[in-house]
Amino acid sequence: MSAGATSSILPLAGRERAVGYLVLALAIFCVLGPFAWIMLTSLKQQIAIHTGAWSFAPSWLNYTEVLFGRRSDFAGNVANSLIVAAVSTLLVLIVGTLAAYSLYRFRWARWVVTAFLGWTLLFHMIPVLTLVGPWYVAFRELGWYDTLSALVLTHVTLNLPITVWLMMAFFREIPPELNEAAQVDGCPPLRAFWSIALPLAAPGLIAAGILAFIFSWNEFSIALNLTSRDTATVPVAIARFAQQYEVQHGQMAAAAVIATVPALLLMALGQRFIVRGLTMGSVK
Amino acid sequence: MRHIFRAIAAAALAAAFGVAAPGAQAQQPFADVGKQPPITILINSSPWYGGFEKTVELYEKQTGNKVKLDTTPYGGMLEKARNAVRGDKSPYDLINLDTQWTIEFYEGGFLTPLKDIDPAFDLPKEVLTYGDSGYWNAAKRWRTPNGGKLMAWSPNGNVDLFLYREDLLKAAGIAPPKTWDDVLASCAKLQDPPRMYATVIRGERGNGIRFEWMYFMLGKGATVVKDAEKGDYTVTINSPQAKAALDLFIEVAKRCGPPNAGALGQGDVIQLLATGKAAQAMVVSAAWSNFDDPAKSAVVGKIMAVPVPAPAGGKPPALLGNWNMAVPKNVPDAQKKAALAFSRWFLTAGAQRAYAEAGSIPVRSDTFQSDLAQNPKFRWMNAYLTMQKYATQELGYAEGAQVEQILGLRLNQALIGEMSSGKALNTAAKEIEDLFRKNGRRTGSLPPLPE
Amino acid sequence: MIASFAAALNRSFRHWSLLPAVVVFVALTVYPMVNLLRMSVSTIEFAEGRAHWSFTPARNVALLASDAVLPAAVINTALFVVAAVAIEVFLGLLLALLVARLERGKGLVRTAMILPILVPPVAIGSMWKLMYNYDFGVFNQTLVALGAAPVNWLGSTSIALASVVAVDIWHWVPFVFLILFAAVEGIPPDVIEAARIDGASTVQIARRVMIPLLKPALAVALIFRGILAFKTFDEVYLLTSGGPGTATELVSLHLYRVYFEQNLLGYGALLSLALIAMIVAALLVSRRALRGMSRA
Repeated sequence: MSAGATSSILPLAGRERAVGYLVLALAIFCVLGPFAWIMLTSLKQQIAIHTGAWSFAPSWLNYTEVLFGRRSDFAGNVANSLIVAAVSTLLVLIVGTLAAYSLYRFRWARWVVTAFLGWTLLFHMIPVLTLVGPWYVAFRELGWYDTLSALVLTHVTLNLPITVWLMMAFFREIPPELNEAAQVDGCPPLRAFWSIALPLAAPGLIAAGILAFIFSWNEFSIALNLTSRDTATVPVAIARFAQQYEVQHGQMAAAAVIATVPALLLMALGQRFIVRGLTMGSVK
Repeated sequence: MRHIFRAIAAAALAAAFGVAAPGAQAQQPFADVGKQPPITILINSSPWYGGFEKTVELYEKQTGNKVKLDTTPYGGMLEKARNAVRGDKSPYDLINLDTQWTIEFYEGGFLTPLKDIDPAFDLPKEVLTYGDSGYWNAAKRWRTPNGGKLMAWSPNGNVDLFLYREDLLKAAGIAPPKTWDDVLASCAKLQDPPRMYATVIRGERGNGIRFEWMYFMLGKGATVVKDAEKGDYTVTINSPQAKAALDLFIEVAKRCGPPNAGALGQGDVIQLLATGKAAQAMVVSAAWSNFDDPAKSAVVGKIMAVPVPAPAGGKPPALLGNWNMAVPKNVPDAQKKAALAFSRWFLTAGAQRAYAEAGSIPVRSDTFQSDLAQNPKFRWMNAYLTMQKYATQELGYAEGAQVEQILGLRLNQALIGEMSSGKALNTAAKEIEDLFRKNGRRTGSLPPLPE
Repeated sequence: MIASFAAALNRSFRHWSLLPAVVVFVALTVYPMVNLLRMSVSTIEFAEGRAHWSFTPARNVALLASDAVLPAAVINTALFVVAAVAIEVFLGLLLALLVARLERGKGLVRTAMILPILVPPVAIGSMWKLMYNYDFGVFNQTLVALGAAPVNWLGSTSIALASVVAVDIWHWVPFVFLILFAAVEGIPPDVIEAARIDGASTVQIARRVMIPLLKPALAVALIFRGILAFKTFDEVYLLTSGGPGTATELVSLHLYRVYFEQNLLGYGALLSLALIAMIVAALLVSRRALRGMSRA
């Protein structure tokens, strides 16, 4: 973000302001309400969950069972998810941003741009269900079944479309005069990309990064089929609580709460890092 | 079959007592399996998984052979099993298949018959076969030991039970129901929505309603097809008996159940019974542990079990659901032998006793020892035994999954009132007949019911 | 040496910046897509441990035409997508504009707002099913406490779909919010100032100044949220399984049943193509509609 630019404020005054804050408060309540309910559920015994009891004896039993239970390697699952999500996010941001910049900045033939963007969109439309079979076969041939690398690669592929499109949308906002000025100044393209374009598109980078991370973190179908016990990720582990005849709600709620913590932490840290890194290199 | 009853009863009681395995005895392996390479088993996380895991640990301790368990959520089991067998080399040496998936794997030729791995292997006669779901006669395309090969053995079997609140029935002066007329009569006294529902049954679209309704269907003597074993796939689902069964089902749901009967899943039924809002319910035997655990139930010690009611004068219906352990074809020979060795060990009397003590229901009749006293924790065993007498498997043909989806939708539509029971069955019959015809089966239909 | 390498890098930057993405796509997407096309005109049967392919386009199309559940699924999917996406984009935009307004605590609010998409979908489905529970769910508890009658959220054919849409809205508004909030942050404040000085009202500023500037981000949000909405599966599967009757049957659910549960791979692939066709049609229609609206 360019220094000195506070976020654009939609100026509200008086009654409009009150209404605005009211709507915001309502929205936050609607968003956090169910989540708070999930947290509450994670502290209840099953009978309290099933009767919807509001007064109950809270206990950490669900959490201990999820984290330290005999059959669970939840900590390992979280580690796997962290590695896969972090690495795939990093890779997809690099690959996607470069591609988006290339398409935006350099005069590629129209058909190239349409074909590339069209293909990404078409691929995004395919139900993941039909991708599982071919990918399973392909990775088994390579001997990459039950590895985190296979998962990273597939997640990069799945997240590439939205990363490319998002970054293109943000690159388009850059005033073209800046690029021309850089070119006139004899600034090499790589430096123009790193020092001019990227900092200006930083909000997009953050958004794309967050989304890529979240999608990778919550991805289930591919993770289920390309991993087994040791490499399983969080969604696969949580799905174990949805059993054939019933759902173990307490443990599932606890696992869901635990699952949000690393993602939140990583994103909070990641944001600051990206912002700092980019503003350090920006040239005004 | 009679020894099964005592057997299962005793096993349950043994498990209830949590009898500790005699330490010194555990050192001797229950079967001499020799040194085997490590194997991997595909298995689902379930209420009985804990017992299975403990028994596997005992195997490892006794024989020194390693076993890896890939615990998979139920929703992912079929996909993983399919991927494993369709690929070049299966990552699993034993795969656990739910009964309705077995046909697909048998027909697809993905498994190795157990006797092909070792001609000397055979299921001990005490081992329960749960309606012969582990046998496959390729010529007849039917699961039967007559001319069929042994493909799998069962580590766990389920049947519906009729559970009721002893205290409520006693207070209302009602005897435990034997027929659905008894149930309807009890509803008149017990139904008091929204405080109390008299009888709750699964009615949700799909496998839920299909499984429960088939108890009614079998009770009335109706069938889906005429005689699949002989190859006659004439559709008989829209017979007057089937309509009577559906009408009875809908009546029970309407008069005795909650307003959202068409959306009740097994979890919802368990919830209603365990929280004390339902007086009676049809529940799978596997769910029993929910009701005597104070962390899960508000009605500890108050639930009793009887066999699922039959229509007056009809025979008690007992539809089975069970798991089947099979060996994929695309596994190296040494691994297959190791898998079979584990199977042989697992089905011995000693191993099954350990299995029962670890909290699972054993699959061997002689594991049950009749000298164990009646433990109130296993008061459901008598009902379970009675039902095993009439146990059957349904939808044992390749189109089983599609038939279930057709029935699961049309039955549900009849239940929620979207169409009449006659129309629902007629529609289902037509769709099933089309399906069989497309697959080249010898089929036909009955005259349509009045709608 | 290094200087010439750097120079070469800069000269070919145009190419090698696009290359990694192309490589990824060629390596990982061509095979599945070709496979999908092949499957859609075939019937695949398994026997003797192998797959046997036969070329049967007519049979697959016949299956598509005679599919009893498909029409209901298509209608429900269309309703679901239109309702969910429209509401989500509207709310996401509104919230992005409002949160940008905050002087302090912006980061905190943004973090709070994205919590719903952090929860794994399987947990969302299960937890909301609990909340919607007829006898014990928190919604009916509140209604009863207020003296109203409990509502059959997931068991009534008339409101089941709406209940599912509500869950989807809760789940995905953060997605739209995130994208649009990032875009709002990028709007230069002097533009707003100028408009304010000109005496424009808040609504006018929002409509005439901000939204046009947000168009690219809005387009991305709409397109991708739309595509994902067509593919919604986890929540519906856990909440209602398509029931009661066919009230919440979506094409993605039907596809899962056909392709996965019934193991009809050929017809399932054709169904996937039909779904993709639906999405493309929806995108083209909405593009024309939006263009028409912006001209007005």
